[in-house]
Amino acid sequence: MNKAVKHFLAVVLFSLAGGAYASSDAHPVKDVDIPQDEQTIKQGAMVYYNLCRMCHSMKYITYRDLGDIGFTDKEINNLRGDRLKSAKLVSTTSDEMNTELFGMVPPDLSVMAKARKHGAQHIYTLMTSYYEKPEGGYDNKYFPHVKMPDVFGYSVALDAKEKAEIEQKALEVSAYLLWASDPRAQERKSLGKYVILYLIILSIMFYFVMKRVWSRLDNE
Amino acid sequence: MKKVVSWIDQRFPLTSFIKHELTEYPTPRNLSYWWNFGSLAGIVLVIQIVTGIFLAMHYKADASLAFDSVEHIMRNVNYGWLLRYMHATGATAFFAVIFIHMARTLYYGSYRSPREIMWWTGQLLLLLLMATAFMGYLLPWGQMSYWGAQVITNLFGAVPFLGDELVIWLRGDFVVGDATLTRFFALHYLVPFIIVGAVLIHLVALHSVKSSNPSGINLADKDNIPFHPYFTVKDLFGLCVFLTIYSYFVFYNPNMFIEADNYIPANPMQTPPHIVPEWYFLPFYAILRSVPDLLGGVIAMGISVMIFAAMPFLDRSKIPGGARYRPFYRVMFYVFVIDVLVLGYVGAKPPEGSLVLIGQVATFLYFGLFVLLPFGSKLEENWLRKRGLPPEVEALIQGEEKQKSDRRQRKEDRRKSGRS
Repeated sequence: MNKAVKHFLAVVLFSLAGGAYASSDAHPVKDVDIPQDEQTIKQGAMVYYNLCRMCHSMKYITYRDLGDIGFTDKEINNLRGDRLKSAKLVSTTSDEMNTELFGMVPPDLSVMAKARKHGAQHIYTLMTSYYEKPEGGYDNKYFPHVKMPDVFGYSVALDAKEKAEIEQKALEVSAYLLWASDPRAQERKSLGKYVILYLIILSIMFYFVMKRVWSRLDNE
Repeated sequence: MKKVVSWIDQRFPLTSFIKHELTEYPTPRNLSYWWNFGSLAGIVLVIQIVTGIFLAMHYKADASLAFDSVEHIMRNVNYGWLLRYMHATGATAFFAVIFIHMARTLYYGSYRSPREIMWWTGQLLLLLLMATAFMGYLLPWGQMSYWGAQVITNLFGAVPFLGDELVIWLRGDFVVGDATLTRFFALHYLVPFIIVGAVLIHLVALHSVKSSNPSGINLADKDNIPFHPYFTVKDLFGLCVFLTIYSYFVFYNPNMFIEADNYIPANPMQTPPHIVPEWYFLPFYAILRSVPDLLGGVIAMGISVMIFAAMPFLDRSKIPGGARYRPFYRVMFYVFVIDVLVLGYVGAKPPEGSLVLIGQVATFLYFGLFVLLPFGSKLEENWLRKRGLPPEVEALIQGEEKQKSDRRQRKEDRRKSGRS
């Protein structure tokens, strides 16, 4: 009972602090900054295209969209071959094949970075937490028994240098997936600056207009 | 211009309307910023309707297309991301504004005579808003949309005898599915216009009884000032401050109030580990879960929303000024606010360990405060009177009582004279 009372008080204080609603059940992730510069995103896109795409589709991203992250027309044409520019990025392995291999169709990655809390960090953590088990084989420290194989070979990396290279790759692909989950985020943020600045100026102006209008009452 | 206006005035009361409702509409000069939230709610309603109509032009109410169409809006429609984030953030803003608006009414006792009809139309508006928000949340067709709708429609199964049929009737299917999505979309488009109608009734009532004010006393004529320009400019200032905060969320933190799970397409075969409603339903959801029996919980939740309507009856004190001049009521008000926050926290967490007990205590307190109010308010009034009221307050109460007894007397007289 005493414990419950203490917990109750803690809950009261916590709810008053307002942090209560935001912090519910997020999966623990490695706290890394995910860069959003064009070059990192582009490199991440290549990692996705050459490796992840074997199993994972990205049905909301088309070849044309790659132009937004610094791919030139020539590069896009090289990637797409005889596919249309408006073709979606689909996995190179069929769903049937994947189901046979993993027992499920690997999820589409288009909005993955938004579909988990701290999604981009979540992806980075997944890629860089594989370890070699003493009895042979490997597992994932943060996501035990995850079905996704250690495609970067993080668990069998020989030295710190190789690990760092894989971590860089994981960072790039996380950056790319973060971009893909909300391709208009840059546009949103750059427009937001002006909107908010405009509104602040307008608020200040209205404040003084209000003071002025209300000052008429002082003379009565 | 003058000619045009006078041509209209002969056929439609344009000038007199503007005069009566705006440029000469008497408003108490001592209104604080807490009185900004009514007009703010109206503007948020307009934002929601306008963005909603444009979203509906691109959205597809079809279980196999809905999720894709939202992503299509976010990616391919010109400024679709802006419309969608404005609309999603707008729902949160709407409830935030309405809750503050309600808290102000409770704090200052604005629900008391003669503003009961305002309070009740407000209660109706709250219900309509909740229904609209709930149905709108299904439309993105994500995991949380789907399972939230599944859980809430399930509650109707607690109704004795009719329960199961009622649930099927609501969903149009045995489980939430395409039939549910299409009807929720149709109603989500319709109800906001009913809300507009209810807002008009709310406003007609307001313009008949006029605004309450922080003193709780009807001001003398000289203390009222015309709504325009004094309060139009004050509302505009408040609106700009509100829009600044709103824009921060729209542009820099639009997913703060969207559960990550809702970016996973709805999957009827896979229940998410932890189903939570949107933040604005959490206190009521906590009450639902705190009652061990399902039917009891549903009833408790229903009452917890509807009980506000009883406030004019529950509060029996004649002391004007709401919580300002009423120490006991003021304490109750703050305890209530904290209690609602605690319930919200409990509603957001899985019901485990001592949280269950805390939820039950908070639920008990929630209803306890309303039950306590009729006695507490009377006791408080007597206590305050014994201590001696300020003479002007005393005079006001007596004046009001005299008016009442006069009215009764006149009625009596009329009845007598009618009989003889």
